[in-house]
Amino acid sequence: MSRLSKGGLIDRAKSLGFHFDGRALAGCEGDTLASALVANDIRLIGRSFKYHRPRGLVTAGAEEPNGLVELRTGGRREPNTRATTAQLYQGLVAASQNRWPSLNFDLLSINQLFSPLLVAGFYYKTFMWPAALWERLYEPLIRRAAGLGRAAGVEDPDIYEKAFAFCDVLVIGAGPAGLMAAQAAGRAGARVIVAEEDFAFGGRLLGERLEVASLNGAAWAQGILAELGAMPNVTLMPRTSVAGVYDGGTYAAVERVADHMPEPPAFQPRQRLWKIVARQAILATGAIERGIVFGGNDRPGVMMAGAVRTYLNRFAAAPMRRVAVFTSNDSGWQTVADCAAAGLEVVAVIDTRDDLTDLCHALARQACARVFAGGRVLDTHGGRSLERLDIRAGDGSHTTLAVDGLAVSGGWNLNIGLASHLGHKPVWRDDIAAFATGAVPPGMHVAGAAGAGLSLGQCLAQGAAAGVQAALACGHAEKAPPVPPCSEDAAAQTAFWHVAEARTKAFVDLQHDVTATDIEIAHREGFRAVEHLKRYTTLGMATDQGKLSNIPGLAMMAALSGRDIAATGTTVLRPPHNPVALGAFAGHHRGMHFRPVRLSPLHAWSAGLGAQFAEIGAWLRPEFYPQPGEADWFAACVREVETVRSAVGLCDVSTLGKIEVLGPDAGAFLDSVYANTFSTLPVGKVRYGLMLREDGHVMDDGTCARRASDHFIMSTTTANAVKVMQHLEYCHQVIWPDLNVQLASVSEQWAQMALAGPRARSVLRAVVDRAYDLSDAALPYMGYAEVTICGGAPVRLFRISFCGEQAYEIAVAAGYGTALAQALMQTGAAQGIVPYGLEALNVMRIEKGHVTGAELNGQTTAHDIGLGKMVSTKKDFIGRTLARRPGLTDASRPALVGFKPVDKTARLRSGAHFVGQKAEALAINDEGHMTSCCYSPSLGHWIGLGLLRGGMGRIGDVVRAVDPIRGQEHDLIVCSPHFVDPAGERLRG
Amino acid sequence: MVEPLAFRSAFAEHLDTGRYGRMEGAPGVRVAFPDLPGMALVLARNGQTPGLVASFGLPEGRKRVVRGARAFIGLGPGQWLATGEAGLAAALAQELAGRASISEQSHGRAVLQLRGPHVRTALAKGVPVDLHPAVFGPGDAAATLVAMISVWLWQVDDAPAYDLAVPRSMAGSFADWLKASAGEFGMEVE
Repeated sequence: MSRLSKGGLIDRAKSLGFHFDGRALAGCEGDTLASALVANDIRLIGRSFKYHRPRGLVTAGAEEPNGLVELRTGGRREPNTRATTAQLYQGLVAASQNRWPSLNFDLLSINQLFSPLLVAGFYYKTFMWPAALWERLYEPLIRRAAGLGRAAGVEDPDIYEKAFAFCDVLVIGAGPAGLMAAQAAGRAGARVIVAEEDFAFGGRLLGERLEVASLNGAAWAQGILAELGAMPNVTLMPRTSVAGVYDGGTYAAVERVADHMPEPPAFQPRQRLWKIVARQAILATGAIERGIVFGGNDRPGVMMAGAVRTYLNRFAAAPMRRVAVFTSNDSGWQTVADCAAAGLEVVAVIDTRDDLTDLCHALARQACARVFAGGRVLDTHGGRSLERLDIRAGDGSHTTLAVDGLAVSGGWNLNIGLASHLGHKPVWRDDIAAFATGAVPPGMHVAGAAGAGLSLGQCLAQGAAAGVQAALACGHAEKAPPVPPCSEDAAAQTAFWHVAEARTKAFVDLQHDVTATDIEIAHREGFRAVEHLKRYTTLGMATDQGKLSNIPGLAMMAALSGRDIAATGTTVLRPPHNPVALGAFAGHHRGMHFRPVRLSPLHAWSAGLGAQFAEIGAWLRPEFYPQPGEADWFAACVREVETVRSAVGLCDVSTLGKIEVLGPDAGAFLDSVYANTFSTLPVGKVRYGLMLREDGHVMDDGTCARRASDHFIMSTTTANAVKVMQHLEYCHQVIWPDLNVQLASVSEQWAQMALAGPRARSVLRAVVDRAYDLSDAALPYMGYAEVTICGGAPVRLFRISFCGEQAYEIAVAAGYGTALAQALMQTGAAQGIVPYGLEALNVMRIEKGHVTGAELNGQTTAHDIGLGKMVSTKKDFIGRTLARRPGLTDASRPALVGFKPVDKTARLRSGAHFVGQKAEALAINDEGHMTSCCYSPSLGHWIGLGLLRGGMGRIGDVVRAVDPIRGQEHDLIVCSPHFVDPAGERLRG
Repeated sequence: MVEPLAFRSAFAEHLDTGRYGRMEGAPGVRVAFPDLPGMALVLARNGQTPGLVASFGLPEGRKRVVRGARAFIGLGPGQWLATGEAGLAAALAQELAGRASISEQSHGRAVLQLRGPHVRTALAKGVPVDLHPAVFGPGDAAATLVAMISVWLWQVDDAPAYDLAVPRSMAGSFADWLKASAGEFGMEVE
């Protein structure tokens, strides 16, 4: 065990058992999975992406590139989880990734032998030919060899949800700067949210031996937290990672609600995706330590110097025993002190700088460590773990050191990715040898290390100032809280990126196995712009998005191309800042909750009759109502059609769009949006209307009734209900704002049912209150009336027919829909009434030659569908001008006709194309296609509607319908599309 | 011979009386169905908005005013939802003849009332509107989207209680979201 006997923010009394690769291990309350592995002497955590090299932990934070595991099992298995961010819990199960058959013996590490083949651009170069092998051979091989964790493959049993929050000040990160900012803004009375991705607040105060206000850092943070927790205007959000910055002060954040438990408590989500709207935000995300590129810098045992301190100080776990420190700046020397204090043997300090301060020399003396000023680590050696270092001293001499750990510090990069999400580019600053924010998103303040205030004193002061400023911007004025005195810590840094003399593989991007050689290849082959460098080498494209690798990579490219870093620039970071589970994005909206389902007011009635439903857009609509003994939908459909044609049926048409067009100019408005005229429609009448798009094609059709001089009731197709409403709103608000017209969707208000068949009136008569006359004279075909029903319930009655029979559409307030349908079924029982669904409705409309979406497909004109005569020549309307284009008035355009098969037993298929009887089935001979077809119970054979070149002029011709997809051909006789009752006697009867 | 038509709630079978989610302790969210027999849209005719606001007392902006048994909720420029007695649409059509067009909506929206100690926390899982008492109180209203469903909501009192009006056809999907969102607090449908 590498657990130190004292210190750390762990509870040694609370032991937590867990499993890694099947081994039973134990950690403590307060551990991360990573620190528990360190405490258990586990150094090999995974295999690398491309070369399957052994890898260990590099960091102790969210930027970890190597320590990725599959967490949990079964449907809860989550790949690529950073062990450094996973809070340990009793019973945690984790497995290493990308190794086969085992972590210690990985067969694919043979990939290293082929490494010359796997360099930058290998994808593009290696598998050029034959192309046909890509899908079958290369891709699967590469996918198996390279890669990270495996997706669970089965449904995640947990729930995820979304939530919204609003605040004056969002503090992102709760280190010393964030805590001071929250205290300042909170005391000023602002509504504050503090989002901290760690489960503990305090940032580096938890991992360093620092003092604030004469307390150790963690204790001081506890005091601030207690104060913040008591403020009703402050919300503390641990385990919450801000993932994206969007317009208008909007931030996305993922709260890992139950990731630190084996299973979420009942009714609680695993994760919650927050949309936080903040008037001001304080970016206090700190800094990320950067590495140095040298030979074998990926070997387990090579770790960031700051991470070594965190494991020692916060988790009381020693990741190494015999340590060397390789640094380019003073902060690395803090690791010398901390290692010595923890009782580790510090073998040597290799500092790239020639001149070291007295303090450095004093620390080295205290730790009894050799010092190599102006030195370099060239290469590392060891099997699956570090054993030796090759050092070149400042005087050029070479030394080999036996160590089991190397702490590396190349300085610190400001963690400012979030500040560039809206396109603001970071700017290079020579004074701190790092990229810093330039312009930032509106309302954002940057404080602490993220704001280039790298010392603890600067963090505290900048945080307090930012908190005051942000609160003030929200109208909360208050003096800044006093900035407490604190430890001095070293903050100056120099730029040092790469030990060029390294002889073995030197890694820039650990997660994507991008080496120094790859950067050289990209340079040599001309991919020198940072964006090209990224894509050619895949540098920074892994799940860590290059948090460690981007800047060393571009600095090396800058050196190779003889430019400075400022001129080379950096890539812009985009959301998400850290990986976000897809489940969090989906939230509640998965499975049947993917989007809202719309249920008709008659849904329960249909369901009670055993209807089969179809998803039509968001609606569930009854397709047919099977009865016992019916073999399939076809039998039910034929029965329903035959019953409607011979007796009476009831159909739910509630889903059709219903729009009220109101106001004194309603008629004029309708004249402008319909191709035919409505201002002349008498009150109490219904007219069929055709709406064109601006480009002259048909947009939608439906009926429109006039209830009063200033009140029309329009119906639309189900599919276009929303689109037509939007179109009308647009026409009113943008084109004709002067027309005094008002629009209201009433689709939800009315349950509407079609009562159709020769006995429709007699059924209706039985429920409509006696005072109302339903005779043909009082309510003729295309008439509208308002009556009461069943003793006083008001209904709107439209005498219209889609199926071609005597028919009424009855609209009743939605809450009474089911009751009215039941009443009609009851009174119609003696007449043989049946409910009928979409299938029967479709058959009857084809028999009548009515068009639907199959014909109104966005490419047809009024003439094409046989309604050219409806188009007014006496008025202007939307689509009029462009409908006269030569292409749309061409007489040879395919137009609507009906078809009957020559062989009456033939089963027709929509989608079949028409060619001449003797013509070859080639596109050049195409004369149109079948849009709709069905078996016609009325005629006893299949019939079809279609768009045929020459249209009604071809009646009597025989054409061939060719269906190459289903391998069918039929000879068809062209006929009128009106198969049943062409004179319309039945619907008037 | 023919019985009067029975009313069927849009929430029938979707939000039946009883306890949902966490069973222990007092419910964090309580659901009731307010009695709003009449609902109608009031749509100002061209140029009539200022007059309606001044003389008829309709609210400006996203507000709700209560006048006796009736209430008017601002939905957008020149658009209000009126709630009140049965036959409200016909009554308003007479009272506002020539100044506003009226559309009957008594059954178009299904209305439920939410209250309880966790009502704001539960609503925050779908309502993209700041309901903090400093920002939104009795008399405030909003037209928004919850779980992709159009919702008109207004605060009724300081308890706080909120009324939410959802399109009738989507009452089932809304109830699904509500049960999922309030489940952790325990929800009681009265």
